[in-house]
Amino acid sequence: MAAAAATAATKGNGGGGARAGAGEASGSRKKKGPGPLATAYLVIYNVVMTAGWLVIAVGLVRAYLAKGSYHSLYYSIEKPLKFFQTGALLEILHCAVGIVPSSVVLTSFQVMSRVFLIWAVTHSVKEVQSEDSVLLFVIAWTITEIIRYSFYTFSLLNHLPYLIKWARYTLFIVLYPMGVSGELLTIYAALPFVRQSGLYSISLPNKYNFSFDYYAFLILIMISYIPIFPQLYFHMIHQRRKVLSHTEEHKKFE
Amino acid sequence: MHEGRSVRQWLPEASWLVEILDAKTREKLCFLDKVEPQATIAEIKNLFTKSHPQWYPARQSLRLDPKGKSLKDEDVLQKLPVGTTATLYFRDLGAQISWVTVFLTEYAGPLFIYLLFYFRVPFIYGHKYDFTSSRHTVVHLACICHSFHYIKRLLETLFVHRFSHGTMPLRNIFKNCTYYWGFAAWMAYYINHPLYTPPTYGAQQVKLALAIFVICQLGNFSIHMALRDLRPAGSKTRKIPYPTKNPFTWLFLLVSCPNYTYEVGSWIGFAIMTQCLPVALFSLVGFTQMTIWAKGKHRSYLKEFRDYPPLRMPIIPFLL
Repeated sequence: MAAAAATAATKGNGGGGARAGAGEASGSRKKKGPGPLATAYLVIYNVVMTAGWLVIAVGLVRAYLAKGSYHSLYYSIEKPLKFFQTGALLEILHCAVGIVPSSVVLTSFQVMSRVFLIWAVTHSVKEVQSEDSVLLFVIAWTITEIIRYSFYTFSLLNHLPYLIKWARYTLFIVLYPMGVSGELLTIYAALPFVRQSGLYSISLPNKYNFSFDYYAFLILIMISYIPIFPQLYFHMIHQRRKVLSHTEEHKKFE
Repeated sequence: MHEGRSVRQWLPEASWLVEILDAKTREKLCFLDKVEPQATIAEIKNLFTKSHPQWYPARQSLRLDPKGKSLKDEDVLQKLPVGTTATLYFRDLGAQISWVTVFLTEYAGPLFIYLLFYFRVPFIYGHKYDFTSSRHTVVHLACICHSFHYIKRLLETLFVHRFSHGTMPLRNIFKNCTYYWGFAAWMAYYINHPLYTPPTYGAQQVKLALAIFVICQLGNFSIHMALRDLRPAGSKTRKIPYPTKNPFTWLFLLVSCPNYTYEVGSWIGFAIMTQCLPVALFSLVGFTQMTIWAKGKHRSYLKEFRDYPPLRMPIIPFLL
């Protein structure tokens, strides 16, 4: 879902052109856009993020070639993954400040769900770091983010190659389910260790009369994928039809 | 279609034509002829319901412009900027439910639910605790306070409040009840738990907190009464509220919505009394929502009344 949400709802890091914004009004819209300074900053931001995720991609490939297997590749890219995924928190700021026309709530939701998986699940429960499901979502996220950030970069520069647009609105068909599977399997793998260690859990009695069961919380998170993922997925499918057919028509008139 | 000629036929200004179009599709939905120029929007809504009974007046939004603001029920046809043939645009507001119904449901829930936990009804705590009673005085006190609070709210809904809107969208009842009932259950679970820990500073803390709670409940009630007296029965007039002889209303000197100020105060009192984190979180969420409402109310007071007292803040004196 973190994978799905990131592609589906983010309208852009200042990107022009077709958007997949879940909260956006279609039709006429006053686009005042970010100023020149903001645009320069956003271009730099998106270029840096594209580069960061490329580093992760290259890191994965090199680790695979060096090890000869695809198991436990997480450790080779752990640091850049944490750095660049956490850096995406800036995108919430971009929306809040207004240089990106996306909803703060939606963007927060997406980024927080990614950050949650990285820190509160994978980092916190060391035993799952060697699971193959981690590789599944890392690959899905890496490909998605490389395409997404380059999409925004090119849009900001008003030169969006059709290939990037096509990739952004097509590859999700496979990458979403792949990412979601990886995420769910990872959370599921973490469950017994959370139960056993009482991670992030408080029980009664205590001074503030409060309790929290992280195990139950993780199960609730998994359940929440059921209503949320299909909505995001079909929204993207709908956007794809709109965006890609619109381009086709444009081409006809050239 | 016209049976016979009446005098009005010869005086075209005496009866107007109203056509109602769908705001989204511009489809012609209804054509009302022989409408009195002094007719109100409410009357036009009633006429529209006759041809489209599924759209009762409460769910109709009629406006002069498809994207414009809704016309009010009291607006009179001839006072609107239209010719003798008026074109109104219709938008369906969706199923509606009366405010009174929503309030009664959302308040009756917490009252009842809290008691389920207080009496330790089976299947909540372990079976050995079924129908047992807490040994802590504060737990019994908390039940009295919580129940009093919601009984007060129910009685105010029935006898005190004067609502300016009759209805709200139906989906609100699900949203609101989830909020009230959910939080009530969550708080009640901990306060009435067999492993509940009483406040750190004991009876002193409880007494202080109880005093805060009672004062704020009285304050909140005083404000509700003052607001009710501001508006005659059946009317929808709006006036600036001012302090009355009741000292609790003197908070009007400093805030626009002292009812919300007192409400937050009550819950802070309850949180201190029970020393229960979920109560504090409930207070925080409530405070956030009430601040949004207070700011909105404050803004509309400022817009409507040129002479609005400048010292007043929306909800917290001098600060917010």
